[in-house]
Amino acid sequence: MSEIRIRYTELGKSFARRRLFEDLSLSLESGAALLLGGENGAGKTTLLRILAGLEKPSHGLVDFGAGEVAWQRCRKILQRRVMYLHQAPYMFEGSVARNLELALPRGLSKSRRDEKIRRALEWARLDGLSGARAKTLSGGEKQRVSLARAWLRQSKILLLDEPAANMDRESQLRTAALLRRLKAARVALALASHNHEVFDELIDRRLLLEDGKLHAARAPALPENVTRLAAGRLRRAAKARR
Amino acid sequence: MNTLGAATLEAFALLFRGDAGLWEIIGISFRVSCAAIAIAIPPAVLAAFALAHFEFPGRRLLISLSNTLLSLPAVVVGLTVYLLLSRQGPLGDWRLLFTQPAMVLAQILLAFPILVSMGHAAFQAADRRAWETARMLGIPPARTFFMVVGEVRFGLLAAMLAGFGRIIAEVGASMMVGGNILHHTRNIPTAIALETSKGNFSQGIALGIVLLVMAFVLNMLLQYFQGRGRIAL
Repeated sequence: MSEIRIRYTELGKSFARRRLFEDLSLSLESGAALLLGGENGAGKTTLLRILAGLEKPSHGLVDFGAGEVAWQRCRKILQRRVMYLHQAPYMFEGSVARNLELALPRGLSKSRRDEKIRRALEWARLDGLSGARAKTLSGGEKQRVSLARAWLRQSKILLLDEPAANMDRESQLRTAALLRRLKAARVALALASHNHEVFDELIDRRLLLEDGKLHAARAPALPENVTRLAAGRLRRAAKARR
Repeated sequence: MNTLGAATLEAFALLFRGDAGLWEIIGISFRVSCAAIAIAIPPAVLAAFALAHFEFPGRRLLISLSNTLLSLPAVVVGLTVYLLLSRQGPLGDWRLLFTQPAMVLAQILLAFPILVSMGHAAFQAADRRAWETARMLGIPPARTFFMVVGEVRFGLLAAMLAGFGRIIAEVGASMMVGGNILHHTRNIPTAIALETSKGNFSQGIALGIVLLVMAFVLNMLLQYFQGRGRIAL
């Protein structure tokens, strides 16, 4: 997969009576994962949608490596290159296989198409769900279908809005595992998430959107129970060595 | 009560005997209304989609206009089409007044606002994620449009049935631009109005029964399809 780097600068978004954010700069790079934090209503979703070319900023520049251009002039390129996954991924009417098929280029032979869908199902640990009605899947399964669609489409940049929302721990871990594999395949990731503990080991850079500005954030300290557990294990290991 | 009972029995007899005159009127009604709704659907669905999905100057005005036209009286549409198609009117050269195409034109104008308003509501209720997801999967806009139409098909079907129900039962416009000419432009509502004014209730009741049965069948079909497409949570 070829390397990619997109740099966004001077991003701003204002509504009639409210300025959401102004003069933001950030970049997305192959194989790097960015975590976007912030309170509810801080503008994380709006920012991700602007990065994906889905929502118009008040102003902003984008640089694909060949110089800065106005966001408005490259909206279609962004929509083609960047894949944005909604907090609750949308499933079209029909089976899981049909939903995956939508991510494939048209004109593939049936056998080739079926083979790709089979591999995608296997990749996303969705074996056995090929014929299930996609709209009836659980939140975690829908998230994995949407990741499988991104994988089939070979998206190089993936933006995820609250990828762990409304999911049980098991589904969160499975989603995190798929994101790890995408990152290893040099996909650029950006996650807006409250519940990021499950993605912690994946993240390279943390930004906090606060009062309309982006601030670099530090990795959170380990929760107290994890620290206690680790301390206990270290003590037991030391005892065993003695 | 006896008159009503006797007229109703006679109405059923007319229907089941296969009265040629009666079934001709029914045929004209369905032919005209089916043509009108078929012609109105494609531009109305496109307009409804555009109103729901795109921001452009005058959008809100168009939505308000479309909603206002929902309560447009049929006779006003009849009058407008009459003036357009009359000899002195701008379309007088087409010589369409008192023909079935004139009735089709009037019924298109009646059905269009219903299709646009209800279609707009259906597209608005549709998830915006459907359009965005399809576009991000690299699906071309035209195919995406048909996919979104597929997602809101029950709302659109309800709009079509409501539009069809309005035009097949309207009397004012058909009477004014069709002229209620036997074998040519006499349809169910104009025939009911005429037969009632003559005191011939049985034929009016028979035609009324046809309209009721049709409305029932259409609603049953809608219920059936909506039942099949239950919302998945």
